[in-house]
Order: sequence, then C-alpha cells, then structure tokens
Amino acid sequence: MQNAKDSFYVALRTRLATVNPERTILLRAAVRPGILVEEAEAPFSQLPTDVFVLRWTAMGLEQDLPSSLAAMECEVLYATLGSQSFGGMDRGRALSAMDEELAAILSPYWTAKFNYTTTPATELQTNVFWDEPVFEPLTTVRDRLTRSARVTVYAYQEIGE
Amino acid sequence: MSDTASRSATAAPQMLADALLRTVAGTTALLRVTGTNANTDQSQLGLVATTFAEVVVSPAVLRKLRPGYVEGGQSRWEILVSATGVQQQVDALDLDSAKSLFAMTLAVNVGGQDYLIESIAANEAMGQVYLYRLLVREAGTEAV
Repeated sequence: MQNAKDSFYVALRTRLATVNPERTILLRAAVRPGILVEEAEAPFSQLPTDVFVLRWTAMGLEQDLPSSLAAMECEVLYATLGSQSFGGMDRGRALSAMDEELAAILSPYWTAKFNYTTTPATELQTNVFWDEPVFEPLTTVRDRLTRSARVTVYAYQEIGE
Repeated sequence: MSDTASRSATAAPQMLADALLRTVAGTTALLRVTGTNANTDQSQLGLVATTFAEVVVSPAVLRKLRPGYVEGGQSRWEILVSATGVQQQVDALDLDSAKSLFAMTLAVNVGGQDYLIESIAANEAMGQVYLYRLLVREAGTEAV
C-alpha cells in the first residue's frame, strides 16, 4: 500500500511540474514542485499556502479477490491568501487556479506503480488508479481560503508487497 | 505617518533585554534547521533521514504560559530570545532576516526538550527589535 501512496504522490508531483512549473515550495533547503505529503514532512503549525498537501485518511481492503485490492482515501488540502501585489484581493482567482491545477494533475486517473525503496525505483506489475475528486466547499478564515478534495486511490497488492 | 524624530538609535534596548534575560537564568536555545539534503524522490517520501544542523541562540528564557484548561489540550510555552543573539546567527548564516531563520526552523530545543513554533512576535523599541517571543508547544519525540 505504501508503494501505491508513493506512486500517487510522485505522479501528481511530476504532472504539477508540467502543468504549472511556477508553483514551487522551498522546503528543507530544497526548491520542489508545490506539493507535499504531510506525513513525510515535519509537523506544521499551519499548513503552507499555495501548495497542495496530501493527507492520507481512510483505508479499506477487499480480500475476496485473487489479489487484495486496497482502497485509500487521500485528502488534498490547499489554501491561499492571494498575492501581495494585489493586496490579497485575487485570492478567489488564486484558489480557482489551484482547483483547475488539481483537476489537471489528477487526470489521467492512473499511474504505474513503483517501489521507491530501491534506487533507482523499480516498476511493479500493476497500476495505481483513482476516482474523480470530490471537491469540498470552500472554507474562509479571515483572508485565508481553504479547500480540500477527496480522492480514493486503489491498488492491487502484489506478491512481496 | 513615519517617525522622523531626531534621536539616535542606540543598542540600549537590546543590551537591557540581554541583561534581563541573563539575570533570570537565561539559557541557550537550539534552533534545529535542515542541513543540505539531496532533493530526491526518497527524501520527499520520508525514506531518507534528513540531516539537521543546530543553530545556537542565547540568552533565551523558557516560560510556561498561564494554563487555561482545555480537554486534551497541550501546555503552551513561550521562549524569549535575545534579538542580538538571533541577529548574530542571521549574519553568520548569511540570511535575509530573522524571519527567514525562524521559517527554516523545524523545532527549538531548550534543556533537551523539543518545541514546535506556533507563532512568532517581535518586541521593538525605537525601530529596533530587542526581543523575539516564540509561542511554542511541546513536540513528541517523533516530531523531528
């Protein structure tokens, strides 16, 4: 299941670098595409703005199949304050841009599954696939606009995983 | 309106703050920042341990904030840090500002306990910061 989670993140990160190369984050002394896995970073007192944060929540396992099928729910959180040059008054547009980017990087709804514990990463035999995102209503706290989208990610468990 | 008073900026507020911090058992705070790390898939996926560096700032004082009972709530603490101590490290690390230093800080260690920064405030006198106040909460051992 970890391989599926890793592959999902790397697929979205690679697509984001193509869809919007300008969306980056300086994290742990490195500039990277503006997407991160919350559980793989140091705890945040407040989620960073203008980046996508992947949070893994629910999980289910269907074992009544030739291969077990894991279903994992990923919550993609993102927030924005708009830009300083617009005095934050473009925050609605900035959030819309992130909505569109998220929809773009989630399509197509599958990617190859890799094992990233090896160097280089080794491709496994099955794919990781996911549902269409379910966008949650916007949350406004003062000038901070936040939205989350839920995606259910599926992957078959291969022998040795 | 800008302050155009013709008074010379001195280091008196900073010296006074440093003296006060030392006299109330000022100690050393270690700001844990990330070292140079390879930006690889493995490091982004939590597969590679990040290297850390510790930035020493002193004098600093840790004090517990007045507790307000909250079910399951954590204790909150405040770390008072000398602005001159912070500025020395900002200069040594060739950073833009103290804000940059705090932004890259993952945790603050005082007396062997790690704390996570919740918010930062600066006290100023005559346009000069003489004290930083870090609102922190205790970190679990897994935090860093």
